[in-house]
Amino acid sequence: MSETQLILRGAISLSNNEKKGFLDKETTRREFLKLSGKGIGGTFISLSLLNLLGCTNTNVEEVAAFPLAQGVLIADRARCTGCLRCETNCSLVNDGKAMPYISRIKVSRNYNFGTDGPKLAYAYEDGAFGNKLMSPETCRQCAEPYCGKACPVGAISTNEIGARVVDEAKCVGCGTCTKACPWTMPTVDPETMKSTKCVNCGTCAANCPTGALRIVPWEEVKYAMRKLGYKA
Amino acid sequence: MSTGGWAGKIIRVNLTSGKISSEDTSKYQDFIGGMGIGYKVLFDEVPAGTKPYDEANKIVVGTGPLCGSGVPMSSRTNITSLYPGTDMNLVTDSHMGGNFAAFLKYAGWDAIIIEGASSKPVWLRIEDDKVSLEDASSVWGTGIYNTTAVIGSKMGKESCVAAIGQAGENLVNLSVIMNGSSHSAGGHGAVFGSKKLKAIGVIGTGSVKIGKDKKELMDLDAYVMKEIVGANNQHVVPSTPQPWSEFVYENSRWTAREGLTWGASEGNIDTGIAAPGDVNKVGYRTMKAIKDLGPVAAKYTVRMGGCQSCPIRCHAQMNIPQLEQYGVSPYAANTCMGWFSPAGVMFKGTKDQKEEGDGNMITRALGSQLADDYGVWCNYGSIGRDFAYAYESGIIKKVLPEEEYNSIPWNLLEAGDPAFLKEFYRRVTFKEGEFSHLGDGTYHIAKRWNFGADYFDTKKYSMWSPLGFPKHHASDESYQVGAIINCMFNRDAQSHSHQNFISSGLPVDVLKKIAEKLWGSGDAIDPPANYTPMNEYKAKFAKYGVIRNCLHDSLTLCNWMWPLTASPLKERDYMGDTSLESKYFSVVTGIDTTEEELDLMGERVFTLHRALTVKEMGTTDMRGKHDLMVNWVFDIDPDKKPFTEGTIKMDRDDMQLALTMFYKEMGWDEKTGAPTRATLEKLNMKDVADELAKLGLLPA
Repeated sequence: MSETQLILRGAISLSNNEKKGFLDKETTRREFLKLSGKGIGGTFISLSLLNLLGCTNTNVEEVAAFPLAQGVLIADRARCTGCLRCETNCSLVNDGKAMPYISRIKVSRNYNFGTDGPKLAYAYEDGAFGNKLMSPETCRQCAEPYCGKACPVGAISTNEIGARVVDEAKCVGCGTCTKACPWTMPTVDPETMKSTKCVNCGTCAANCPTGALRIVPWEEVKYAMRKLGYKA
Repeated sequence: MSTGGWAGKIIRVNLTSGKISSEDTSKYQDFIGGMGIGYKVLFDEVPAGTKPYDEANKIVVGTGPLCGSGVPMSSRTNITSLYPGTDMNLVTDSHMGGNFAAFLKYAGWDAIIIEGASSKPVWLRIEDDKVSLEDASSVWGTGIYNTTAVIGSKMGKESCVAAIGQAGENLVNLSVIMNGSSHSAGGHGAVFGSKKLKAIGVIGTGSVKIGKDKKELMDLDAYVMKEIVGANNQHVVPSTPQPWSEFVYENSRWTAREGLTWGASEGNIDTGIAAPGDVNKVGYRTMKAIKDLGPVAAKYTVRMGGCQSCPIRCHAQMNIPQLEQYGVSPYAANTCMGWFSPAGVMFKGTKDQKEEGDGNMITRALGSQLADDYGVWCNYGSIGRDFAYAYESGIIKKVLPEEEYNSIPWNLLEAGDPAFLKEFYRRVTFKEGEFSHLGDGTYHIAKRWNFGADYFDTKKYSMWSPLGFPKHHASDESYQVGAIINCMFNRDAQSHSHQNFISSGLPVDVLKKIAEKLWGSGDAIDPPANYTPMNEYKAKFAKYGVIRNCLHDSLTLCNWMWPLTASPLKERDYMGDTSLESKYFSVVTGIDTTEEELDLMGERVFTLHRALTVKEMGTTDMRGKHDLMVNWVFDIDPDKKPFTEGTIKMDRDDMQLALTMFYKEMGWDEKTGAPTRATLEKLNMKDVADELAKLGLLPA
């Protein structure tokens, strides 16, 4: 097993206590909305459709030849230091080049001023020029994926392990998925004209220098949401 | 030919004509990038005698093939131009970390060559291959923070902006160019200002290609992250006893320990036991806020931060509500001297407000906030020492007109009230009165205000060179090795290769064993304040230090971490891996390059710096006119002899021997220290040799 495989495996061998502690941070409505949708009037992630274990992206299998425990990628923004290694690692492993623009986790686009960009009171908003908090955005692997439903050629589907993946053979690079996603997560690679989106390979989480990223199994997410009084 | 790394294109922008063109990077490939491109452009295109604010001066904003590739600690921008800090019009580099270098690469560019001067304030807008000059009148006259926000709203939130503040606009010699909220390059802000270039904004949607299989890159990363990388400054020993280490080193920057938290973070995140091998804890090792701002700072620390691609995170990100009473944001970020130098300005000390040590913390944070927005540089702390000397010697009272002197709130300085800093930085930035000449730099202010020789000859004022720059890890910390390195540049040396190893926390006998493997003998290492006479191994160590420094500024890699000479692992006998730069270079560019071959490229870049300095000074007599040291180096501790325990005192003859041995290592003329034709040609720089010959500047 290569060093890289060992690192990827290490990321998900968390104790149950560690996983629960991680989720206990979802203590405010705002934090939950980051999980399920911002201002989309009560859309919840329906967990019944998702049964998560590994991934089928062939590039990733070169470095992780065994299925990883799967769930949803969650970022603990308090631990994110903005090193942006997740972005280069994502594109290196999945696309063979360093290209944050198509990274399936989005951090650098929010670096200076947060998700909403510079405001007059930027010194008190998110970002390096404000309260110093980074805004790492992750794919929600939505139960009713906006990207998948909007794709005119049916290139996005749920694979047998629950991740929403782009079939590059079908993708025509129209960018509809990008526009449909409420969080603008899928990105068409201008060099290949193929859409890229998160497939829960776990590379970013495995290599985060502060452990700010975890792939948390869906059962744990369901547990946390119910504990907080949400429907799940 | 390379299949990765470089973008392949350089922007050339002429601010006089407004013309923007694209050039091929391959012309500079022998010089790698960054500093290498900078020196080559200046040597070839800027005539000797050009002054820093002349239209004929050029400024090169450079990155290298490794920037943006994901290699750890690889997003530094190297800025090369003439330096206004002395009247000798010599080349220097300034550096800024943050995201700029990586983002410029993603836009598809290796460097920006800026020439000419605009008649109206402009900013350079780079969106992938769309490059244009924009009207900067709406941000001219405002600070760096506002400029970044305005350009961010014009270009898009994802842009990275490098800007000058009002200090650079007003041609204050000690000015910076800054990107992000804390990554500033010192000394060239006013060169931008003289060209009316306010800022550069970058958006990049492209990629950095990897020449070889990305698996090789990921495997190198795994190796580095698990076995080699330490904490800030590649310290490899913890600062408090930890279960994973047999050693402790109180001054180490590996400060993580149970109970030391990012106190203003949600969840009061504990840095904990961040042991080597634990890849997901590397970012907790360097809790630097307590080192830079004092133990009280832990509870005001939101997180640590730093540059793209770096796992170390050495910039403390603070939330200090007390700052609001001074009219600035409570959120401040910086590292090292950015925090220290305001404390140097408040040389009478600072008064605590609510708890022990908070006066010092608030002073440093307020100064950082003001200086970073105005874009004022500190000349590696000398601005505060220049001020302290002028005040304490009575010079300030003599040279300031009475009305101006009385308008300055000296009571705040005396009382240790940081509100004084608002006066200090504002006056310097807007050139208010005679006082503001403190922004000219030591060389100029010492002349203008007639400083006594005691200023340069007293160690407390930290001067190194009569050419007007301070020490930066010199004889005081690293005997002849540091002394040699500190003589080599035209500003403070900014070279950490040697010091990081010496201060890594490893005991002297361990350092000596590693030194034997790398430089031929443990005699390359002296214990602190217990020095020995010069020897050839120290010369090799000095060469390693300065070559790697220039190599990193060309690749680019962060000189505060690289080279990874030591390792935290006992299983490795604490030996790092000095071949890593060449391994990464080979994987990223696709061009197989050995450690020796890459070092030779670094040697080429450093020798070009030397040739350029010879050209600019119009003399080959580097030993007599350039490689100079002030007197405290030799005259400190008058009742002690050099090379005895308890003193850092050096010997003049020994130091001249040290220079001779170093010149020999570099293949320079042993008498003068000037590069010879033979060496220049060996390094493929026949054109440089020919140019120097034409000017009569090759040694006999």
